[in-house]
Amino acid sequence: MPLTIYVSPRAAGAVEPQTPAVATVELARLFGRSAALAGVSLRVQAGRTVALLGANGAGKTTLLRILATAIRPSFGTARVDGIDVAERPDQVRGRVAYLSHATGLYDDLTGAENLRFAATLLAVPAPEREERIAETLATIGLTGMAAERVRNFSAGMRKRLALGRVLLASPTLVLLDEPHAALDEAGMQLVDALLAAWREAGITTLVASHALDRLQPFIDGSVRLESGVVAEIAGSGVEPNPEPRGAIGLPVGTGASV
Amino acid sequence: MTALAAEARIAWAIARKDAVSELRGRSAASMTLFFAALVLLLFGFALGPDTRKLAEAAPGLLWLAIVFAGLLAVGRLHLLETDDGALEQLALYPIDRRAIYVGKALAGFVTMLVLGAVMLPVVGIMYGVELARAWPALSVTVVLGALGFSAVGTFYAGLTVRVRAREVMLPLLLLPVTAPLLLAAVKASAAALSGDPFGELGSWLQLLAGFDLVMLLVAGASYGFLLEE
Repeated sequence: MPLTIYVSPRAAGAVEPQTPAVATVELARLFGRSAALAGVSLRVQAGRTVALLGANGAGKTTLLRILATAIRPSFGTARVDGIDVAERPDQVRGRVAYLSHATGLYDDLTGAENLRFAATLLAVPAPEREERIAETLATIGLTGMAAERVRNFSAGMRKRLALGRVLLASPTLVLLDEPHAALDEAGMQLVDALLAAWREAGITTLVASHALDRLQPFIDGSVRLESGVVAEIAGSGVEPNPEPRGAIGLPVGTGASV
Repeated sequence: MTALAAEARIAWAIARKDAVSELRGRSAASMTLFFAALVLLLFGFALGPDTRKLAEAAPGLLWLAIVFAGLLAVGRLHLLETDDGALEQLALYPIDRRAIYVGKALAGFVTMLVLGAVMLPVVGIMYGVELARAWPALSVTVVLGALGFSAVGTFYAGLTVRVRAREVMLPLLLLPVTAPLLLAAVKASAAALSGDPFGELGSWLQLLAGFDLVMLLVAGASYGFLLEE
């Protein structure tokens, strides 16, 4: 299986090496009166692969969505490569590739057209665009489905195509929300290979998952979230962030409701 | 590549993607045209068989049909983004959000132009209106009207796309704002069809152009905030 990872600006030396890839300080997000995140302070070293663990509703997806700039934090701060996600989301978006639960694909476009649209918006240079798309389709095992409309894809094939979109980016930070879900064994092996390749390329990766056993060979450390707060940090590459909390904080530690 | 050229390239990609999706969902596109024709037919029935009365009402009915069908069209261009989180994904690309607005508005503009191009001859045939002499002025009116409706419609479609009652909210919010456009487009069309005896066509077209410019600038500057969650 051909597998090419495109080197990120950070790997090319655009960011100070000591700057954490991800830093959060008392990060909180409310939905109504419920706190999905209730004060998370973390620091992830650049180039490391870290698993986000926890039960459903623990705050894994919310943390990833804040880092991807899909939603804004209610309190606290989050930075990617030293850039505040709330203050400069436009700069952060160029550094992050995010695989969410939803695939974000267009049903009436073909597999290749979906990737071509993504490549255009990701500013993949026009002369190499078609080659990159063909290469990506081969990597995700969908070359034979390139001309088929996504409407006719299975859930696993849609997930693979969404992974292909992540591959077209040149991120410094890859955020994956349950990447093994909906995939068959071959698809899960593809995710494993990508995790290994991103690690090898020095690209920071945060993976939310329930499958720690599956992730174990590819991760440096892990964070377990419970009710929106950090319950446990293990391994290397991730640590509590000792930066002082801001003027506004939330009561931390007891439950998801405030 | 300059920033402007990059924005234009992205806007074009978005408009093209919307157009391809719209054309492939042919039933929805043809249903919109059918709906507009049905509106004209029903108004015709309501006004009765008096051909003079029908001809007098033709400009207003033409634009009501275009606006009603346009409501469906601009709404649907945003509904394309609700499939499986596409809108959130679109908002996460490292692109200027004005380019998203321009792309969506461009797709809406082309759809409205097609609507206008089909509805004009339908009005001519159904209401017995002579279009041959008036077509250059009518074409300008349709272009300016389509641009204005798409400019403001794209904004409100983006505003309501995440709302549960969006089918109701979109017309409730959009129609009052389009009142000046509707008035100017109807008056310009009526002036064009009557040979412009009072020399008012230019003023109405200027009003349409001004509406378009203001809406494009305001909606383009504000649209990015609609994508925030």
